[in-house]
Amino acid sequence: MGFDRRTFIKFAAGASAGIMVTPLPWKLLDDVAIWTQNWSWIPSPRKGETTYTNAFSKLDPFGVPMKVRRVRNMPVRVLPQPGHPLGGGLSALSIAETQLLYSPSRLQRPQLRGADGKFKEVSWPEASRKFQEELRNAGQNIAFISGDENSSVTEVLSALANALGSNDIYLMPSEAQSAAKAAELMGFNARFGYDLEGSDHVLAIGANILENWGTVLRNRRIFKNSHPHSFRNKETNKEDTANTAALVYAGPLQNNTAAVAESWLPIYPGTEGVLALGIANLLIAAGKTAPAADFDAFKDFVAAYGPEKTAELTGVDRKKLEAEVAKLLAAEKPLLIIGAASGSGAGAAALIAGMAVNALLGNINRPGGITLLPKAGKILKNAAPLADIYRNDLTQFFARREKPALLLIHEANPIYALPNPEACKAALKAVPFKVSFSTFMDETSALCDLVLPLSMGLERVDDAETPYGSGKISYCISAMVAKPGAGVLNTGNVILSVARRLGKDLGFELYEDLLRAKARLYEKSSFESLAAGFPAESDEKVEAGAFSFKPGILDKAFALEGNKGKVRLAAYVRASLGTAKTGIPPYSNKTLRADELRGNLMSVLINGATAARNKLADGDKVFLEGGGKKIAARVRVFEGIINDAAGVCLGFGHSALDEFSQNKGANVMELVTAAPEPETGLNFWCKAGVDIYKA
Amino acid sequence: MSANKDFNVKWGMAIDLDKCTGCGACMMACQAENNLAPVADASNKQRVINWLVVYEMSNNKSFPDHEIAYLPRPCQQCAEQPCTTVCPVVATERNEEGGIVSQIYPRCIGCRYCMAACPYHARCFNWFDPVWPKGMEKVLTPDVSTRPRGVVEKCTFCHHRFMQAKDKVRAGGGNIYVRGVDNKLHCAVPEEDYITSCAEACPNGAIVFGDLNNPDHQVHKLVTGNANAFRLLERLGTDTAVYYISRREWVRRLGDNYLPDEETQKPRQILPKRH
Repeated sequence: MGFDRRTFIKFAAGASAGIMVTPLPWKLLDDVAIWTQNWSWIPSPRKGETTYTNAFSKLDPFGVPMKVRRVRNMPVRVLPQPGHPLGGGLSALSIAETQLLYSPSRLQRPQLRGADGKFKEVSWPEASRKFQEELRNAGQNIAFISGDENSSVTEVLSALANALGSNDIYLMPSEAQSAAKAAELMGFNARFGYDLEGSDHVLAIGANILENWGTVLRNRRIFKNSHPHSFRNKETNKEDTANTAALVYAGPLQNNTAAVAESWLPIYPGTEGVLALGIANLLIAAGKTAPAADFDAFKDFVAAYGPEKTAELTGVDRKKLEAEVAKLLAAEKPLLIIGAASGSGAGAAALIAGMAVNALLGNINRPGGITLLPKAGKILKNAAPLADIYRNDLTQFFARREKPALLLIHEANPIYALPNPEACKAALKAVPFKVSFSTFMDETSALCDLVLPLSMGLERVDDAETPYGSGKISYCISAMVAKPGAGVLNTGNVILSVARRLGKDLGFELYEDLLRAKARLYEKSSFESLAAGFPAESDEKVEAGAFSFKPGILDKAFALEGNKGKVRLAAYVRASLGTAKTGIPPYSNKTLRADELRGNLMSVLINGATAARNKLADGDKVFLEGGGKKIAARVRVFEGIINDAAGVCLGFGHSALDEFSQNKGANVMELVTAAPEPETGLNFWCKAGVDIYKA
Repeated sequence: MSANKDFNVKWGMAIDLDKCTGCGACMMACQAENNLAPVADASNKQRVINWLVVYEMSNNKSFPDHEIAYLPRPCQQCAEQPCTTVCPVVATERNEEGGIVSQIYPRCIGCRYCMAACPYHARCFNWFDPVWPKGMEKVLTPDVSTRPRGVVEKCTFCHHRFMQAKDKVRAGGGNIYVRGVDNKLHCAVPEEDYITSCAEACPNGAIVFGDLNNPDHQVHKLVTGNANAFRLLERLGTDTAVYYISRREWVRRLGDNYLPDEETQKPRQILPKRH
C-alpha cells in the first residue's frame, strides 16, 4: 500500500483531530507556562505550622502592641493585637519589623575599629574584654546615652554609671523630656497623663497626635471610636451619625492629624507656646481661673497676649482663634495637647503654657483632662530615677567642651537625629572611646570605636513602662518571638555581666531576672501574663499639690529667636519613614508619593503666595540654607501650609544604614541649630529660619 | 469571563475618607501580607509594584482655605470589569464566590491589555524579577506565591484569607453558604474571620470590609442608603465593589469627572452594560 495523496490527507486530518482531542499539547503548554515562571532564583514561601505570639514593638517609640504570626517558629507577619489598651491597628514601622530582622544594615558580629581606622570583626569575648578594659580605664569619666526611654535598659545603664561614679546619662530628646521638665518647673511631682478617652474636645497644638505624638495607636483608636462613619440618609438627607468628640489641630501645615481634624488653625512653626498663651488670655477674659500660686502674675503676663498680638506673633487668624476658644469653653471635657510637630526640640516653656491652659480649663486630674501619674518606679538601688535623667540635655552634652573618656550609646543615633549633625560628629570624634550598642550600622555606630550588635526587639525580652502620652500607668513586657542570631546579644545582659566583672554587681545576673522582679511591682500581674501580652495597668494618680505657671520663664523663653531666614522651617514627621535608629524600613519608600521624593530629591512644601514672593514655581530645584548648611530640594506648591514657611520631611538623608535609606533626600536637622531655652535647662530648636533660593 | 453575573456574595469595601490620615500602614500591611518585594528606589512610580496606593487629594483652594484628604485605592473589584474581558488567555476572571477579580500568574502572558483597560490603574506589571535582600525571603508569608517578571499582579482582597476562613467553617462542620433572613444565600464565614490585611492594619478603622449583599454586615449598612457613599468613576458603569465615604462634597466630587451642574452620585449618564 503506497502513501498516496488520499492517505496523506487522511493522516493529516487524523493528526489534526488527534491533537485537538488529546490533552497533551495543552498540558505541555500549561507546564511551559508554569515552569517558565518557576525559576530557582525566585524565592518560594516556606509552608509550615502557624502560631501567634503577642509582643510589644521596641522599634516603634509610640507604644505599639503586636501579634506576631510565626511559621515554623519563624516570624513572618506583624498583626494587630486586639484588646490591648495601647493598641488598635498597626503602625507602618511595626509592620516592617519582621523584614527588618534581615535588613542589609543589621549588625551580626561585634566590630572593633583597628589602628588603620577600619572596622574588623571580633568575637564577643574579645569585644567584651575590650569594653570592660576601656570602662576600667575611663574610671568615672564616662557618659551614657540611651535611645529607649521606656525600657529598663536605661535603668541598668544608669545603675552602672552611678556605680562607676558618673551621673552623666542622657536620653534622646523627646516630648517626654519636655513634659518632664515642664512638670518639674511647675512643681508637679508627677508625669502628665492624657485622658483622651474621656475628652469630648481635643485641641492639639503642634502635637501630631495621629502620627507621631504619644501613644499613637491608642490615640487613633480613640479617634476611630469618637468619629463614627458618616451616614447621610438618602431619604431624609440628614446625617444619622455624629462625632462624640471634636479634634482641632493647630500647626504650620496640614499634616496627618490636620487632614481629619474638624478644623485646622495655621500657625508659624515654633509658636505653639505663644498660641497657648493667647488661648489662656481669652480663657481668663472669660472668667477662668486656676489654683496656681502665681496666677495673678500669670494673668498679668498673658494680658500682653491678646488676640491681636497672638495673631501677629503666631500667624493665626484672630476670628478662628476666638471661635476655637469659644468651643473649648463650650465643651464639657476639653483637653489641650501641646508638642513639637517634629517630635522633639519644643523645650519646656511651650509645655508649661499648654498645661496652664489645661489648668484654666480645670483639667488637672479631671476625667477627660490631664492625669497626674506617679513617676516611673525603679528597682535598681544605684539607678537614677527617670525624671532625673530627663534633666540632662543631650544637645548640651554634645556642645560642651569637656568630653568623657568613654561614651556608651544604646540604641540611639544622635549623629543623625540631633540638630547640627556636623558639630555632633566633631564632638563625638573628640571622645577617645565610643561604644555603640546597635541593631543596625547607623550613622552614629559608623563613627564609634566598638560596635556591639544588639538583638532586635523581636529577638529579646524587653519592657515598656507607660509610654509618653498614655492616660494611665501601664507596664508591658515584650516576649522573644524570634531566635536571635549567634552574634547578637541584648544590652541589658551585657551591661549586667560587665558590671559584675568590674566588681559592681547590680544584683541581677540576667536582664530577664530584672524584668521578673519589676513585674512583681504590679500586683495583679505576673511576668508570665505580661510576657503573654496582657499589660499591667494602674489608675493611680498623684495629688496636684501647689503648682505655678512660671510666667518669668515663659517670658524669656518665648522671646528666644531662632536663625533668621526668608522662610520659617516647618519640619514634620512621616512615621512610615521609620526612626533615626531604623532608617527607612523596607516597603516604606513605596508609600512615598512622587511629589514627596523624586529620584533622590525630596520636596519642600511652600504655598503659592510664598512661592511667588520668593520667585519660585512648582518643580523648581532649590537650596534651603540655614545654620551655615544647605540642602537641596524640589519645590512642591502645597496650599496646606502657612505663609512664609517651608515644610520639609524628617527621615531622609541617611548616609549609613542600607539601600532603603541611603541616597534619599537630605537630613533636615543639618539646617537646625539648638539653643538653650532660658531657665529650663533644655535646648530648643523648633524655631529655625532658612533661606530658600533656586539652585 | 464572568462579567455581569450577580453573585449572592459580593465582597466589598467601604473606605471612610474622613478617617484616613494617609499614614501608609495599609500599604505596608498589603506588601507584607502579599509578598511584594521591597525596592531601594521607589521614586519611579511606573516601575513600582503596589497593590494598594494612597493618593493625596486637594480641594484646590489656596491657603488658608485649603483642605486635604487621602484616598486608598485597592483594586476596585468591578462587577463589569474592563480587565477580564480583554485578557486573551483568561488569566484574570471574576470569582463567583464573592466577585473577587483574580489574577492567575502562570496563565498570564504579560501582554498588559488588562493594565491598559483598567481605569483605576490598579494593576502592576513585573518588569523585573522580585529581589529580597539576603535572608528577607525567610519572612515571606506562606499563603501567597511570589511572582516572576513578565506577569501582571493586583490586589485580590487577600483572597487567601477567604480560603482560610472557609476552611475554618468546614473544619467546624458548617456549610459555606447559608440562607439568610432575606431568603438569599449568604456566606457563612463570620464577618470578623475574613478581613483584608489593609483593613486589619488601619488604626483609624477607615477601611471596612465585608459582604456588600449581606444586610448583617457593617459594610452593607454603611453603603446602603448613604448619600455620602460614592464609587470611583461611577459613570463608566464598572459597578465596583469599593465604596468611599465622605461628608465633604469636594471629596465626593473628585470621585468622578462631574460637570459643575451635576450632582454627585447622579452622573448624567452611565455607560450601558457590556459596553
